[in-house]
Amino acid sequence: MRKGFYGFLTLALLSLLISACSGGNNSNSEASPTGSASATGSAPAAEGQPKDGGSLIIGVQSDPTILNPIYAGDRVSLTIDQALYAPLFQVNNGKKTFYLADSLEPSADNLTYTLKLKSGLTWHDGQPLTADDVVFTFNAILDEKQNSMFRENLIVGGKPIQAVKVDDTTVEFKLPQVNPSFEATLVQLTPIPKHVFENEANIEKSTKNNAPVGSGAFKFKEYKTGEYVTLERFDNYFAGKPHLDSITYRIAKDTNSANLALQNGEINVKYLDPQDVSTIENTGKFDIKPYSEGRLAYLLFNEDSDTGALAKKEVRQAISYALSRDELIQTVYGSSDYADPAKSFVTPDGLFHTNDVTSYDNDVEKAKELLKAAGVSNLKLRFIVSSGNKAQEAASLYIQQKLKAVGIDVELQNMDASAYGQKFTDTSAKDYELSYAGYIMGYDPDAYSILFKTGANSNYARYSNPEVDQLFAQGAGEADEAKRGEAYKKLQEIIAQDAVIYPVAYTKTIVAIDKKFGGLDEAVLKPVVIFEDPSKLYLK
Amino acid sequence: MRQLIARRLLQTIPLLFFVSIVCFALIKMAPGDPVLSFVTPNMHAEDIERIRHNLGLDKPAYVQYFLWLKELVQGNLGYSLVNHQPVLDQILDRLPATAGLMGSAIALAVLLAIPLGLVAGANRSRWPDKLINFISYIGISVPLFWLAILLIYLFAIELHWLPIMGMRTIGVNSALDVLKHGILPCAVLAFSFLSVYVRYIRSSTIGQLKEDYVQIQYAFGSSKRLVLFRHVLKHVLLPIITLLGISMAELVTGAIVTETVFSWPGIGSLGMTAVRGMDYPLIMGITLFSAVLLIVGNLLADILYGFADPRINKAR
Repeated sequence: MRKGFYGFLTLALLSLLISACSGGNNSNSEASPTGSASATGSAPAAEGQPKDGGSLIIGVQSDPTILNPIYAGDRVSLTIDQALYAPLFQVNNGKKTFYLADSLEPSADNLTYTLKLKSGLTWHDGQPLTADDVVFTFNAILDEKQNSMFRENLIVGGKPIQAVKVDDTTVEFKLPQVNPSFEATLVQLTPIPKHVFENEANIEKSTKNNAPVGSGAFKFKEYKTGEYVTLERFDNYFAGKPHLDSITYRIAKDTNSANLALQNGEINVKYLDPQDVSTIENTGKFDIKPYSEGRLAYLLFNEDSDTGALAKKEVRQAISYALSRDELIQTVYGSSDYADPAKSFVTPDGLFHTNDVTSYDNDVEKAKELLKAAGVSNLKLRFIVSSGNKAQEAASLYIQQKLKAVGIDVELQNMDASAYGQKFTDTSAKDYELSYAGYIMGYDPDAYSILFKTGANSNYARYSNPEVDQLFAQGAGEADEAKRGEAYKKLQEIIAQDAVIYPVAYTKTIVAIDKKFGGLDEAVLKPVVIFEDPSKLYLK
Repeated sequence: MRQLIARRLLQTIPLLFFVSIVCFALIKMAPGDPVLSFVTPNMHAEDIERIRHNLGLDKPAYVQYFLWLKELVQGNLGYSLVNHQPVLDQILDRLPATAGLMGSAIALAVLLAIPLGLVAGANRSRWPDKLINFISYIGISVPLFWLAILLIYLFAIELHWLPIMGMRTIGVNSALDVLKHGILPCAVLAFSFLSVYVRYIRSSTIGQLKEDYVQIQYAFGSSKRLVLFRHVLKHVLLPIITLLGISMAELVTGAIVTETVFSWPGIGSLGMTAVRGMDYPLIMGITLFSAVLLIVGNLLADILYGFADPRINKAR
C-alpha cells in the first residue's frame, strides 16, 4: 500500500514534468511576451528599412559599478557607458572611426598630437562640449587624488603627457618621448563634462555619477538598483538622431532564467554560452552572432616552479607537440565556429598580428623524442583549475589524458575561483606548472609587454629573454610603422619558438539578438561593449 | 519583564562585537583580493598599488578592523569598495524589495502550514498525513533554483501568464505590476518555508492530542473539528512564534538563490555581489544588519511567548 501510494505520486509528478518539457517544442513559434516593453505598435514600415521608435532590452549580468568612463572597468559599466558617452574615436582592424573627434594628426617628430573635435557638439544637458572638457578629463585622470585607474597610461618614461587647449575645438597633446601606443590610450579617453565635475573634490564618489550627463547617442533616464538602467534617445547626437526611443540594460544574474527571459521577449539581446546556442537558435527568433573578442585562450607554462620541470624550452615544446589544437577546440568550445586556432600571442585584432609563426601540433613521436633528448623522464606536473569554470575543467581533463600518452603525469588541482585567481596572479607562486587561461589586451601590441618582459607584473610564465625585452622596448619607442611592425613580428616568432605559452584559440563571444532588430552591421559588434554605435540599431 | 528586555539588549552588544570580529576574520582569511575586481588587463602595477593604498587595503588587517569599528561607533557603516556608495543606503535601498517578498512568503507559508499541519497531525499515518508529508518532503529536498526554473517554464514560457525577470516591467510603476512579478518568487519561497513549518505543526499537534484536555473535550462530546481548530490550535501556535522570531533575520537577508534566479532586486542578491567582489564593508554591513534582526526577532519571540503562555513567565 505504502509503496504503491508513493509510486503513484512520483509517476504523476514525472508525467507533469514530461508534458511540460515536450510542450516546449511545439509552442515555440507562438510568441506573445508578457513582460516585454517593446513598442511593437509603431507605424509599419518596409521590412529591413530603418525606422524610428521602439526600445531595446539588453540583458547584463550585474549592476554597473559606476557610470563614469574614467573609472569604469567592469563589463557592464563599459557597455552602458558606450551608449551614454561618445568616445573620441574607435579603432577596428587598424582603421579609425571618428566620433567626437574630427581628426588626429601626429607632428613630424611624433611628439605632438593634434586632436580636432567636431564643431557644435553638446552634452545631454545642452551645454557645449569643447576642448575644455577634453583637457579637464585628461587632467582629472592624471590627478592622483582622483584615483583613476588609467593614470599610468598618460605617463611616458616617468613624465606625464600634457594636454593643451589651442582653441575651442583643438587640443594638443605633448609627449615627453615618442610613444606610438598613445593612440590606443586616446581610444580609452572618453571625455566627461567639465561643467558638472569641475568642483568635485572626489569625482569617483560624486553623487553626480548617479545621474550622468554624457555625450553619446542615448541619455540617462532611470536607474533602479538591482533591476535596470534605462537610457533614452538623445536628439542632438552629432551623428544624427538615433532610431530607437530607448535602450534598457536589464540586470539578470542567473543565466538559466535569463535565457528563458530571452525566449519570452523580456530581453532582446544577451550573451550566450556555446552550450545554449542550439536551444536559442531553434526558436528561430534570434540572430546568433559569434564575433571575435580579441581574446587568446592558452595553456600557461610556469617556468619557475619549485621542480623546475618547465624551465627547459624542449620540454615545453614536447608538451605542445603532444596536444592537438583542433581537438582541444572541439573539446572546450564544442565547435570551431566559436574559436579560431591560435598560434601567435597577439590576437587577430591587434596591430602586426601574424599567425604565420612556428607552432607545435599533434606529433606524439616528436614529443617523445624531444623529452628523451632533454633527458627528462617520469615527469610530474601540477595543473591548477578554477572549479566550476567549464572551459578550464574540459581543457585540463583533455590535456591530462593527452600528456599521459607521452609519459607525463598530470595532477589536477581544483580550487575555488578566488583561490585560483590569487595563485595565478601571484608571480612568486611556485607550486604548480600548468594552467588554462586567457587574456584580452587591446589592439596595440605594446600592451603585451606586461606579459612577457622580464619581471613584468603580469609575466605569469616567469619568462625571461633579453632579446624579447629589447624588442618590446624598441617597439614601444619606434614611430616608423614598418620598423615597428618588424619588431613585433620578430617578437611573435621568438615567443613561439621558445614555447612560452601554448596558444590554443582566439575565442569568440556569442550574442543572440532578437530578429525584430536591424542595423547590426552598422552598429558594429564590439568586444566587451557589444555595440560600438547603438544609434544605428532600429526596429524592423 | 522590563529588566529582562534591558538585560537581553545589553547582551546584544558583546554578541554583535563578536559577530563582527568573526565575520571580518573570515573575509580576511578567505583567498582573493578586493582590488582584483577593479583590475583590467592593461592596467599598470603602479595604478593597482595606488588604488590599494587609497582604499586603505595596504594596512594590516587589525588596523583595517579598528578603522571600520571607529566609523561604526559613529553610526557609519562605511562605503562599498566597489561602487563607493554608502553601505547603509544600499541596504535600505534594497530592503523594501526583500522585506516585501519574504514577508508575503512567510505569511503565506504560515497561513497554509497551520491547517495542513493540524490535519496531518490529526490523521497521523492515514492518507492525508501521507500526502502532506510527501509534499513537504519535496519542498525540503528539491533545490529551489530547480523549482523556480520549472515554474518559470510553466507559467511564463508555456502559459504566458507571468513575467520572469525582476520586480517591475521597465518604466512601469504600479503596485499591480510589482505584485505580478512577485507571484512566482513568492510561491517558490512560500513552498520551501511551508514544508518546514508543516512538520513543526504536525509533530506539535500529535503531542497535543495526547494531552488530558483533549481527552476531556472528547469526553464532553466535542467534535473532532472543534477540538482541533479551537483548542489544539492555540497550543500549536506556540512553536510558530519561535519560528517567526528566527525568520525575522531572513526577512532582511533574503533568499540569495531565489532572488538571483528571478533577478529580484533584494538584499540577497546584493550580498551575493558583495561576496563575489570581496567587498568587505558591504558584507559586514549586511551581516551586522541581519545579526541585529535575528537578536531582536528572538527577543520579540521570547516576550510574545510570555504573553501566549503565562507558565513561562512564572518559571522565570
